[in-house]
Amino acid sequence: MNETYKRIRTNVSLAFFGGMLLGVFSLPAFGQNPRLDIKNLEALSKKASEVVDVNLDGPLLKLASRFMTDEDDREALEIVKNLTGVYVKSFTFEKPGDYSPADAEAIRSQLRAPAWSRILSARSRREGEDVEIYLMTAADGGKVLGMAILSVEPTEFTVVNIVGPIDIDKLSRLEGKMGIPRLELDTTESSQKGARQHEKP
Amino acid sequence: MRNHSELIGRAILSIALLQMFSTPARAGDQEFHLLVERMSAYYQKRPMRFMGWLNFLANRFTPHNVSHFQMVIFDDIEPSRTPPGDDLESSLASIVGPSYQPFVRVHEVRSGDWTCIYTRESGKTSFEMVIVSIDSSDAVLMKMQLKPEALRDWVDEPVKKGRDSREEARQAEVN
Repeated sequence: MNETYKRIRTNVSLAFFGGMLLGVFSLPAFGQNPRLDIKNLEALSKKASEVVDVNLDGPLLKLASRFMTDEDDREALEIVKNLTGVYVKSFTFEKPGDYSPADAEAIRSQLRAPAWSRILSARSRREGEDVEIYLMTAADGGKVLGMAILSVEPTEFTVVNIVGPIDIDKLSRLEGKMGIPRLELDTTESSQKGARQHEKP
Repeated sequence: MRNHSELIGRAILSIALLQMFSTPARAGDQEFHLLVERMSAYYQKRPMRFMGWLNFLANRFTPHNVSHFQMVIFDDIEPSRTPPGDDLESSLASIVGPSYQPFVRVHEVRSGDWTCIYTRESGKTSFEMVIVSIDSSDAVLMKMQLKPEALRDWVDEPVKKGRDSREEARQAEVN
């Protein structure tokens, strides 16, 4: 009886230990998952007149990159082929003031330091549009793991989550593609205040 | 005797035409037929009849990079069969099957309308798209094959194209 009990206890301990090890190695390091949870943003969804979700990942992303054969697409292709996915969630509101910054807290709370850093906060040339770009880099500060773009307009709020390595300087090549808004950032001196300064939100 | 021959001739022609146009899915596309069957089972309703004519005409007028367009409409569906959000998504995913990947989803909050778009590769030179558009009373199921140029449009502006699809489905219901 004692022998059987011992064997069961050993097996249970081994299973528990194995499970823990599996859990440790199969999960991404804490705070290092560049995929944002944008599926359920209830506060915004409830107030929006329209919600659009775009998922461009896996085979579809590969398929899309295979068809980027034009000369103009060459640089975009260089970026896209290394990405894991591009996810877009866009909320449209009937009139200005239908949503408040507090409603976007569910997304902003995910974009906090130390995992994420805001690298750009600027006003777009398009009227009334503010753009914020966040970057997640590997713990050693080198490799870019992912990016988030928040485009805030009076009647539209869009979150773009790019997962995978991306060169920030080449981001403009993806503007207007895959749901990524045309940033058309104002490059005048006054509007660049605070931009590109690696703010920690 | 001649009258009989004429009658039989007309009957054969009618049956042939009916075979060609009035069934929602032609024999060549068993998969669409399966999708229609699954939608029928889900809504416990048969699709509207004579959609074959519309599909025939639609295929004559679709852009050059779209082909094999097929569509059915389920009218007067039971609103309770359209559950909110994630439940609807999982129901639709099981209808279209695992080979299709969810691509774009458009939800008009106030009206409760949904448009879900799924895609998959089809050979090396094209891809297939399934669009399911649901409002409070009707559901539209569309399937088509698109060439790379069309995919390019979708990838460039998925939000706009998703909205356009919703409009197209709405127009189909109206017509």
